[in-house]
Amino acid sequence: MSVPDYMQCAEDHQTLLVVVQPVGIVSEENFFRIYKRICSVSQISVRDSQRVLYIRYRHHYPPENNEWGDFQTHRKVVGLITITDCFSAKDWPQTFEKFHVQKEIYGSTLYDSRLFVFGLQGEIAEQARTDVAFYPNYEDCQMVEKRIEDFIESLFIVLESKRLDRATDKSGDKIPLLCVPFEKKDFVGLDTDSRHYKKRCQGRMRKHVGDLCLQAGMLQDSLVHYHMSVELLRSVNDFLWLGAALEGLCSASVIYHYPGGTGGKSGARRFQGSALSAEAANRHRPGALTTSGINPDTSTEIGRAKNCLSPEDIIDKYKEAISYYSKYKNAGVIELEACIKAVRVLAIQKRSMEASEFLQNAVYINLRQLSEEEKIQRYSILSELYELIGFHRKSAFFKRVAAMQCVAPSIAEPGWRACYKLLLETLPGYSLSLDPKDFSRGTHRGWAAVQMRLLHELVYASRRMGNPALSVRHLSFLLQTMLDFLSDQEKKDVTQSLENYTSKCPGTMEPIALPGGLTLPPVPFTKLPIVRHVKLLNLPASLRPHKMKSLLGQNMSTKSPFIYSPIIAHNRGEERSKKIDFQWVQGDVCEVQLMVYNPMPFELRVENMGLLTSGVEFESLPAALSLPAESGLYPVTLVGVPQTTGTITVNGYHTTVFGVFSDCLLDDLPGIKTSGSTVEVIPALPRLQISTSLPRSAHSLQPSSGDEISTNVSVQLYNGESQQLIIKLENIGMEPLEKLEVTSKVLTTKDGISVSGFPLSSPFRQVVRPRVEGKPVNPPESSKAGDCSHVKTLEAVLNFKYSGGPGHTEGYYRNLSLGLHVEVEPSVFFTRVSTLPASSTRQCHLLLDVFNSTEHELTVSTRNSEVLILHAGECQRMAIQVDKFNFESFPESPGEKGQFANPKQLEEERREARGLEIHSKLGIRWRIPSLKRSGEASVEGLLNQLVLEHLQLAPLQWDVLVDGQPCDREVAAACQVGNPVRLEVRLTNRSPRSVGPFALTVVPFQDHQNGVHNYDLHDTVSFVGSSTFYLDAVQPSSQSACLGALLFLYTGDFFLHIRFHEDSTSKELPPSWFCLPSVHVRAVEVQA
Amino acid sequence: MAVCVAVIAKENYPLYIRSTPTENELKFHYMVHTSLDVVDEKISAMGKALVDQRELYLGLLYPTEDYKMFRKLHNSYTDVMCNPFYNPGDRIQSRAFDNMVTSMMIPVC
Repeated sequence: MSVPDYMQCAEDHQTLLVVVQPVGIVSEENFFRIYKRICSVSQISVRDSQRVLYIRYRHHYPPENNEWGDFQTHRKVVGLITITDCFSAKDWPQTFEKFHVQKEIYGSTLYDSRLFVFGLQGEIAEQARTDVAFYPNYEDCQMVEKRIEDFIESLFIVLESKRLDRATDKSGDKIPLLCVPFEKKDFVGLDTDSRHYKKRCQGRMRKHVGDLCLQAGMLQDSLVHYHMSVELLRSVNDFLWLGAALEGLCSASVIYHYPGGTGGKSGARRFQGSALSAEAANRHRPGALTTSGINPDTSTEIGRAKNCLSPEDIIDKYKEAISYYSKYKNAGVIELEACIKAVRVLAIQKRSMEASEFLQNAVYINLRQLSEEEKIQRYSILSELYELIGFHRKSAFFKRVAAMQCVAPSIAEPGWRACYKLLLETLPGYSLSLDPKDFSRGTHRGWAAVQMRLLHELVYASRRMGNPALSVRHLSFLLQTMLDFLSDQEKKDVTQSLENYTSKCPGTMEPIALPGGLTLPPVPFTKLPIVRHVKLLNLPASLRPHKMKSLLGQNMSTKSPFIYSPIIAHNRGEERSKKIDFQWVQGDVCEVQLMVYNPMPFELRVENMGLLTSGVEFESLPAALSLPAESGLYPVTLVGVPQTTGTITVNGYHTTVFGVFSDCLLDDLPGIKTSGSTVEVIPALPRLQISTSLPRSAHSLQPSSGDEISTNVSVQLYNGESQQLIIKLENIGMEPLEKLEVTSKVLTTKDGISVSGFPLSSPFRQVVRPRVEGKPVNPPESSKAGDCSHVKTLEAVLNFKYSGGPGHTEGYYRNLSLGLHVEVEPSVFFTRVSTLPASSTRQCHLLLDVFNSTEHELTVSTRNSEVLILHAGECQRMAIQVDKFNFESFPESPGEKGQFANPKQLEEERREARGLEIHSKLGIRWRIPSLKRSGEASVEGLLNQLVLEHLQLAPLQWDVLVDGQPCDREVAAACQVGNPVRLEVRLTNRSPRSVGPFALTVVPFQDHQNGVHNYDLHDTVSFVGSSTFYLDAVQPSSQSACLGALLFLYTGDFFLHIRFHEDSTSKELPPSWFCLPSVHVRAVEVQA
Repeated sequence: MAVCVAVIAKENYPLYIRSTPTENELKFHYMVHTSLDVVDEKISAMGKALVDQRELYLGLLYPTEDYKMFRKLHNSYTDVMCNPFYNPGDRIQSRAFDNMVTSMMIPVC
């Protein structure tokens, strides 16, 4: 016997073996249909007793195993059922013949046999035969089960007769020696009369009867027989049979103790009848005993409880039996099966350690050279048994060996499918699930070396199965979960083969369903590359949307009437934690920055990397990147365009690496840092692009400026120089521009430079060209300090606020800022300023010391004076004759200035205005011919109070008219000798109060041009009327005049000195207010 | 002399494994892995029996091993665990432990 039945279990000892086989050509489908029905009749309660018969059906049984039927009767084929097709009466004899041939095979042991004929009808079928049953077809055969029951009953009758026959063998009769096939030759020529031999015959026969009793449902009897047999055989050292007797004892005890069975699957089925079997056997024992006819004394001596082994004893006896079996090489199958049966018993007893010892022993039993299929079966069953005793790793180990056996090189047609299936079954044993999520939390905890091996094998098996998608999935899983354990070379190899597979079958995110019901979840490559940080980026400053201020209040207060409520605060806090407080704009490219790194020892090419979003229709613009080997953190920006508005959530990203598509969700990534992933998308807005006539500069404004400047221009200017800047705004967005607001802001600079405002023009055109004039002015302190060579900077910001389209209706706008950076180099300085009175009271001379601080030759010109040339670093004085200024007329002009209540500020304003006035009057310009640059120079800053007073027109304006001609020149007024000359003194009061009355005396004199003034002119000049004039009080801003007349008696040049009477002048008024022009009169002869 | 020394975490993965014939390391991996079934069994049996919890030595997997070897190994393992820079659950990379294992693997004669 060489073919072990790995499915054997202890309770099989009580079964009758019936072989069911097809004869002739019977389709497998039909055969198994009938076979199944036959198998359903597995236990029969015998009609006239309470005993139960158990039947074991086999459709295949090696006849050589049948030869061991005497050794253990459950191995003996006692029944044969043949199934055949026969459609015509003509074939019938032939069919029947075949049946007989089939019977011959097991002929020696058969108790009875049956032939089931399907298809035959007619007179042959009419005949009633016990051994043949006819059925018209495979459907119409309700009587099959009944037939089988009858058949089993007939088997029982034979069995019972045999049992009785053997049991009642008189001791006088010669008991035949039962033996196993390989023993036969050993007993040739043995003394059959020896006591020893007889005992051996008796012992073996007892054992045989025990077997029969067990099969016949007489458990207690069998125990008795086995016990006796053990005694007999032990005394003659018949070890093989002693082993069998012990095993019989064990089997019977197991059946008694474990009515549920030890065989696992079949156990449930058996269970229904099992209660009955144990109970019934006990209850009916006395009756059974009497019918059995065994020597009554033995059965009474050995009590029931004694007969049956305790659970512990069962194992001991099994051990003993196996040790006896192991003495015989030819009994390997028996030993192996005994081991398996013992393991099943131990599994029930939950004694895993001992079970493992039995199994270990079974592993070492070498039968003969096994066929590949037998090896697979052997390993599978070992695996199952290890599983049974809870040794999952060992089970997995053997299952894997079995799987490998399926595809051993010696097999012509490797069973890759079976191999793959078996490998999948080993997964739990290696604590490996195929769901990458189980590995994503924390570090990998598992036996990487063996798990990796298994994954490699799965990959290979699935490839050989012709399922590349499966290989890709397994390989991806290997790469994803075992990355930390792969050596650099392995990483290369794995990725290489992955790329090979994916070139034919790209990896997807679809779960793969396996035929066995297992589903392989997708494997996203969250480690290729590893993402450490995800940050949603705000739009660039120039594109950032802002909410109109007026609308801001709306969405804040509508929700609740309370200003503060802890509940609301809590909710908001929660929202805020996820939602980022900036907005994206529909239709505009939005960015998400990922910090990634490549854990691979080679360059990693990531293709088709894009964002996975929800909430808003989003057009992702995938990027391809190449990360250098084992890169550090590497920023990657993923972009996309939201197509609709609402709240967008960035859930993750997708990649294609090595041909595998991955959707990596942020929630599944361990150790990722994210500052929120939800952002609001607002409706589309127009988009302006700015370009300027000046080149852009990298120079950014001081960080303290607070504004985010999108564009910067920078220019270098000399102090006083102007530069025109043309700004072109272009709407490059899809939405119309509906509103544009331009504002400017000068940032206070460290150097205290002030600038005149930007004149801006036409803000309501699509393209505006404001003229910007930066006009830095000399700071006052620079005249004192020596830092005049110091370059100063000026910074200013131009803001374009614009909106349009749907975003405008929602109340959003954008702000575009242009930063201006001006470096101001010094040009000319006025180091000193002073005044000299001019000949006219309405004028004076301004003396300026001009210093050229540039390195170039420079010309300075005023509105009406000649050009002054200054060499580099040269200082010259220039005198400018200026009309005096009437400051009082304008200081209040800008209405808003009135707001300043502070008189100091008011004074400051006034002073500034005066400066401007003076500046524009003077119109001092400089020019650097070599550079072709020119600009203005201003004296504003350095005009001190004294100079200002000198430059100022007195509020009381005195005019002297000679003959109706105003007389305030060098030029002399001409008059005729002998004719009275009208002299009029006119006072205009521009001061805010009334002045006067005044008394004036006109004193004529002659200037001899040698320093001598001749006042003694009584003979030459005569007054018509009084020489003293009186002026009444003059109200503010009104005029008053007094008239007189002079008569020149001789020709000559005369000067009139108009003097105030001491007593009439108001003491409180400053003397400069009473500055009257001197009058020059030339008296000539009357031309006749 | 030991052929293979392994320290296994309670989650059943190797903290440390080293074998002298380096060419067939996987064989030892399988061997150690499958033997864990027995360890599991022994531990669960221990829980039932309520034996002295201080006795950490579970017994022999194969009858050729040396009890002293376990003490040595366990003491060294304790030292590793006492290292404040060692994260329980990480692979053991201690040089001292490694040297001790090497000394166990050198043939005694």
